[in-house]
Amino acid sequence: MMNSPSNPTPKARRPIDRWRWTGRLFLVLMLLYTAVPMIWMLLTSIKSGFAALQFPPQWWPDEPTLASYQKLLDPTNSVGRDFLRFFWNSLFVSTVTTILAVIVAVPAAYAFSRFDFPGRKFLFFAVLLRNMFPAVIFLVPLFILMRLLGLVNTHGSLILTYLTFGLPLAIWLLKGFYDNIPIQLEQAARIDGATRFQAFILVVMPLSVPGIIATAIYSFIGAWNEYIFAYTFINRNDQLTLPVGIQRFFSENTTDFPGLMAASFMMSLPVVVLFLLLQRYFVKALTEGAVKH
Amino acid sequence: MAHVVLTDLVKTYGTFKAVNNVSLRVEDGEFVALVGPSGCGKTTTLNLVAGLVPLTSGDITIGDRIVNDIDPKDRDIAMVFQNYALYPQKSVYKNLAFPLQMRKLPRDEIDLKVKEAARVLDMTHLLERKPRELSGGQQQRVALGRALVRDPAVFLMDEPLSNLDAKLRVQMRSEIKRFHQDLKATIIYVTHDQLEAVTMADKMAVMNGGFLQQYDSPATVFANPVNMFVASFIGSPAMSLVPLEVSTNNGDTALSGTEGWSMALSPLNARKVQNSTSKKVVLGARHSTIKLHKHVIAGGIPAKVYTVEPTGDVTFVQALLSGATVNISVPPTVSVAPDETVWLEFDQQRIHLFDGETEMALSAA
Amino acid sequence: MTAVGSPADSACRKNVQRTGILRQAWINRSDYLYVLPSIGVMLVVIAYPIYYTIELSFFNTPPSLQLRDKIFVGLDNYGLILQSNVFWRVTLNTIIWTVASTFFAFFLGLGAALALHREFFGRGVLRAILIIPWVISAVAASYIWKWIYHSDFGVIGAVLVGLGLADRPPNFIDNVNTVLPSLIVVNVWREFPFAMIMLMAGLQTVPDQLLRAATVDGAGPWQRFWHVTFPHLKGVSTVTILLLAVANFNSFIIPWIMTGGGPSNASHIWITHIYELAFGRQRWGVASAYSVLLFLIVMTFGYFYVRALSGSERKARG
Repeated sequence: MMNSPSNPTPKARRPIDRWRWTGRLFLVLMLLYTAVPMIWMLLTSIKSGFAALQFPPQWWPDEPTLASYQKLLDPTNSVGRDFLRFFWNSLFVSTVTTILAVIVAVPAAYAFSRFDFPGRKFLFFAVLLRNMFPAVIFLVPLFILMRLLGLVNTHGSLILTYLTFGLPLAIWLLKGFYDNIPIQLEQAARIDGATRFQAFILVVMPLSVPGIIATAIYSFIGAWNEYIFAYTFINRNDQLTLPVGIQRFFSENTTDFPGLMAASFMMSLPVVVLFLLLQRYFVKALTEGAVKH
Repeated sequence: MAHVVLTDLVKTYGTFKAVNNVSLRVEDGEFVALVGPSGCGKTTTLNLVAGLVPLTSGDITIGDRIVNDIDPKDRDIAMVFQNYALYPQKSVYKNLAFPLQMRKLPRDEIDLKVKEAARVLDMTHLLERKPRELSGGQQQRVALGRALVRDPAVFLMDEPLSNLDAKLRVQMRSEIKRFHQDLKATIIYVTHDQLEAVTMADKMAVMNGGFLQQYDSPATVFANPVNMFVASFIGSPAMSLVPLEVSTNNGDTALSGTEGWSMALSPLNARKVQNSTSKKVVLGARHSTIKLHKHVIAGGIPAKVYTVEPTGDVTFVQALLSGATVNISVPPTVSVAPDETVWLEFDQQRIHLFDGETEMALSAA
Repeated sequence: MTAVGSPADSACRKNVQRTGILRQAWINRSDYLYVLPSIGVMLVVIAYPIYYTIELSFFNTPPSLQLRDKIFVGLDNYGLILQSNVFWRVTLNTIIWTVASTFFAFFLGLGAALALHREFFGRGVLRAILIIPWVISAVAASYIWKWIYHSDFGVIGAVLVGLGLADRPPNFIDNVNTVLPSLIVVNVWREFPFAMIMLMAGLQTVPDQLLRAATVDGAGPWQRFWHVTFPHLKGVSTVTILLLAVANFNSFIIPWIMTGGGPSNASHIWITHIYELAFGRQRWGVASAYSVLLFLIVMTFGYFYVRALSGSERKARG
């Protein structure tokens, strides 16, 4: 009994320590799970084709080489020419999709957040519901539609579909953002002499920059990584985007794993860099928009 | 400056009526406070005047122009918001300049007016700051400045002081009052704080449940509340309202409480009660008009002390009477204790009588 | 003195009831301009395909014929599907795939979000690394993992052999029993960061005061999580789980690139199966009937999805 005042302290601290150590251990395991495949991709990509096909594997390449990257980035050989073209196609399609998505989603999200017009709820539901449908349902009819519009084998077919399929979440994300901008700011602007449209452009738009950036990242990554529509709509080599293009490079039973890994790395690099640079906007938009209403 | 006339203003949301047939006239240069509890329709009324929400029916006249269908920007009004609504990405200077830019004034004229407004409001040194770098009081002043540069026909203010701390609120209250006197501006001011309305306004419009209850000078509203709502809402501490029964005492009309006592009425008050068809009458009295005695006196009504709240220069006593709580103020020298029995004396000249059913003030006529 | 006292006035009703839907729509006509581009684009790309899919599901489309020479067969396609063994196999796979992927992605994401919530040295870097798999293209991820799982030169096999846990590298994705779990591991690898980001955002909305109050009230870490944090995450969690479930139900790339649905349909899920029927075997009619069935399933949990997403406007704080 004499010791009782000092007893509770270590007792109370032990469970906290245990939780903290569990958390740390968990993070280490997650780090391994996440990073090992990426590290193995990088290590493989700097091996020679022969070094990659050994068992047991060379954990660290005996003779690291950038040959695979050189091949992909050299416009004078056919592989490099194709790869750079695919890269450019992906960049073009993703950029145009992103710009259009922002232009289209911003007013829609704003209207859903602010205006009270008949059918508003219904339309918003329709927009969200769209997100439910798997792409495959639309493949055949869309292919026929694209043929009708003369868009098969053009980037237009991809931009149009990516736009439609990316919009629902983009609108939802942005709407949450607009919901958190006080309406009094626009009211003040309108009393100060702005039309409703001017109030939107001059006051609301600058404030929603983080939301717009988040929407843009989301659209860009979605378009950059899209596979199934590109696989179906595009047949001409010079129009292919990266995900499908890479598949054309490396046939089913390829043994050029360093090449494949280098291509995978090159394909991932732009979006990863873009995302890491802008992720704080993304998290901010999620916190202020999607999560905290 | 201009006068503002509201005629039969109605605003409904679905089946909910936020504003019910509100009519009032704000004279040129007058300071009118719209006051009432939250949800009473005062802010909606202000937004209707501003044109921020569409009108369901009725007419709004600013100056000699009916503005029902005119855009907010063309109504020649300025507005100050509760959360200040300063454009967070713009500096103070740009916030002040915005309404002028929107009106396409030449740049040098904008500069002149902004600097003048900044000088008047004593914030020249803050011009380059962003709103988030300002204190609440400074933000409030910028919001006022933004309304001021425009030189509008009418100023609309929506609870402009309620986000400030108590001390700053008192200071800003006198600043706004001074601002009104200097500018001879027409101001419509929304507040839930009856004290702000009483201290600042030329006239106050008391609202409840979307209805205009009473529209008059603060002194008149204070002295002659038209119904129990106004009586209890205006004044602090609130007017005590005691529900009583009408009885006759030796042929004279009197009021009696549930404890069995009865209170004689002056001839005027008796006539008021006789005019009413109801047998239930509510007695209203402000704390300062009730006398508290520690011993039995003739005509005194016994009550039990519930709490005692000394505030320094005056002590508030709450006593239970006929199922209601009565507020009495006594000098700090008087000492009373909870559960003590005291005798209350009501001033027949200054009590208020209300119909217990319609809740309207009784009249002698 | 203007005194309008008694709140029993109703003379203003006449103007209220006449505001019908059409009139309101007309008054708000400019509002529609803002939504028109989105709705327009979606109508073109969605309404027509839905109609066409339903139509096609009632026809037989032999590969030998042009699509427009299709033969009407009524509900035969549906009967064919429900009687085939493959349908049930694929359905079971889809359920396992969707449920397991969603479950693991959510709980790994939740664990990571909680572990990363506290400030510590290197937290930002760690968070960034954990997010990367979500950003990497699914095609690249499929190739990376296919290489890791490789039956002769795969790194996992090599590690297992090196540690003496296996005699020779196991065959992960050419084995009927291990292929689906192996693919789920890849899918979870790509998806848990999404759950992590969403829940990290959600954690920021948990009021510190409440946590402190719970501590004062004597709650331990687990009790604090269960009684304070978790209830606050309910809204976000619902949305996250639904988004994950939808994405998993609709996923295609990972099974398609890594196994093509094989071996012997062991990793086929609905979407890959439909794709193969349509584009591999040119059986458009059956594929469309599959799509219509899929559509019906999707619509049922679509109802909950929409309710959760639009409801989170108010609910997320609950």
